[in-house]
Amino acid sequence: MNPPPILEIADIERHFGGLAALDGVNVSVNSGKLTAIIGPNGAGKTTLFNVITGTLPASAGQVKFQGQDITKKAVHEINKLGLARTLQIKSVFNGMTVLENLWIAAQSRDGVFKPFQRATNSKRANETADRICEEMGLAHLANQEASNLSYGDIALLEMGLALATEPKLLLLDEPICGMGPAETEQTVQKIQDLANKIDIVIIEHDIEVVFDISEDIIVMNLGKVLARGTPNEIANNAEVRAAYLGDADA
Amino acid sequence: MTPTKINQFGILALVLFTLIAPWALPFIVDSFWVEIYSEMLIWSLLAASVNLLFGYVGLLSFGQALFFGMGMYGVAIGVAKLDFSFWPAFGFGIFSGTAMAAITGVFAVRLTWHYFAIITVVFSLIFYFMALSWKPLTGGDDGLPFSMPPMFSFGENIELSLTNSTIQYYFIVIMVGLCYTLMAIVMKSPLGRAFRTVKENDKRASLIGLNVYLIRLTAFICAGFIASLSGSLFALFGRYASASYMFYHVSGEAVVWAIIGGVGTLLGPIVGTSLLIILREELSHVWEHYQLLVGAIVIIVVIFAPKGLGGLWHGIVNQLCNWVNRKTDNSEDPKL
Repeated sequence: MNPPPILEIADIERHFGGLAALDGVNVSVNSGKLTAIIGPNGAGKTTLFNVITGTLPASAGQVKFQGQDITKKAVHEINKLGLARTLQIKSVFNGMTVLENLWIAAQSRDGVFKPFQRATNSKRANETADRICEEMGLAHLANQEASNLSYGDIALLEMGLALATEPKLLLLDEPICGMGPAETEQTVQKIQDLANKIDIVIIEHDIEVVFDISEDIIVMNLGKVLARGTPNEIANNAEVRAAYLGDADA
Repeated sequence: MTPTKINQFGILALVLFTLIAPWALPFIVDSFWVEIYSEMLIWSLLAASVNLLFGYVGLLSFGQALFFGMGMYGVAIGVAKLDFSFWPAFGFGIFSGTAMAAITGVFAVRLTWHYFAIITVVFSLIFYFMALSWKPLTGGDDGLPFSMPPMFSFGENIELSLTNSTIQYYFIVIMVGLCYTLMAIVMKSPLGRAFRTVKENDKRASLIGLNVYLIRLTAFICAGFIASLSGSLFALFGRYASASYMFYHVSGEAVVWAIIGGVGTLLGPIVGTSLLIILREELSHVWEHYQLLVGAIVIIVVIFAPKGLGGLWHGIVNQLCNWVNRKTDNSEDPKL
């Protein structure tokens, strides 16, 4: 018997006025595979991430994480259960150093409502921040303000922030969007390393990268799941070719 | 020479000056400046409460006078209407303002930016008009005066009271000092870092598992506590409470003091408050429209020193240290 899926999405709908951005999405994500979500612009990929992480409330349907219903939970509660994400537009704490960024993410596990304790005495958070700084290859930038970092390093820091919260499942929203070849390679390498330790769902437009790194591909179109399968199955799926590649004759 | 050392030296100088002010100020200027200096210290706490919200959490409040006013009325009503002795009245003042902050905060911190600023003004206006019209309790326009109860009394003859100006001065210094120490401790704690994190990027903060609403509410209540302590001290200092101190004009002044002093720096509010109170004392009887000058100073500071005088100070100290360190490095280098 297969282990229960880490993430189950049942009949999720999300409407913006009359527009159905998500129109009955049914999909589950299994542990142990790097899952990718692809689809043309406006297919509802990021909206799906927003609904899963609580940033947007679902209009209907249910999201279960590790068997627990998280549909109505607040963003920070969902993160505390072990679900972390990065954003399409990279987002870190610009006015803080790399280490301070990672520290607060790590400290959030132990709680921050400790007004009379010295922050520098939080042993576990200090260690986690140092370790992740090292792992993400940012050690030489540890005391730099995040606003001074290059685009590629900010992407790594953002992933580090997510990791410092010790997630079981990591959602990456277009992690290599806007990167040059060198930065892309650096980031893809990191993602592959991470996939050995935790479960990852990635939204990505770069089909080559997706086919290269993921074992399980979900194709979305017009707010619905169009197809699902291994890279080979997806590449040979006529419906996907028609909708996504936009060319029925190809 | 490091910036930290220079700053520590600066704080030490400020503390020493504050401790000897009752003797130093009459010697340098005039004895009534001791009173003005106490007033500066008290008002600086109101600016500090604005600074805590704006400088550390990123919420611009134009309603801190509400909690200041509640602190004042807590003390005055406590003594004049409820026959409280000194300490219960003082505690009641702080409690009233902090409780008001907790209640209004529940609604206010759901909003940010201009919506937050507007709702804080609205809250302070509601209670300002209530205080103004509820004459039997608050004295309305005339305010509510009270006579100072003793702080401690031992037996029949020995009595400690704020009617003694030296005791009053040191009582204020101790309370204000405790408040700044407390702020310094909190700012270095995980909670202080969470404040900064929320100010930097609230969306990301919630995605790493921080309860942004609760963190903002905590900051709002802390700021309310500081403002109500400030108001309670001012009531004791002036022996009365008045609705006029709840008006949003007072809140606005505190915002100006905080911005000039430098938001996001611990002692900036003291600098900003002192400077503008000195200006007021020196200029208001010479030149009726001295507020024009205050306005000009605000504009100049906002344009040329957006981090206020506190930020300017940190900038200069850092530059100076870099320059000195470079010089000493060079002279110690045997190759040169």
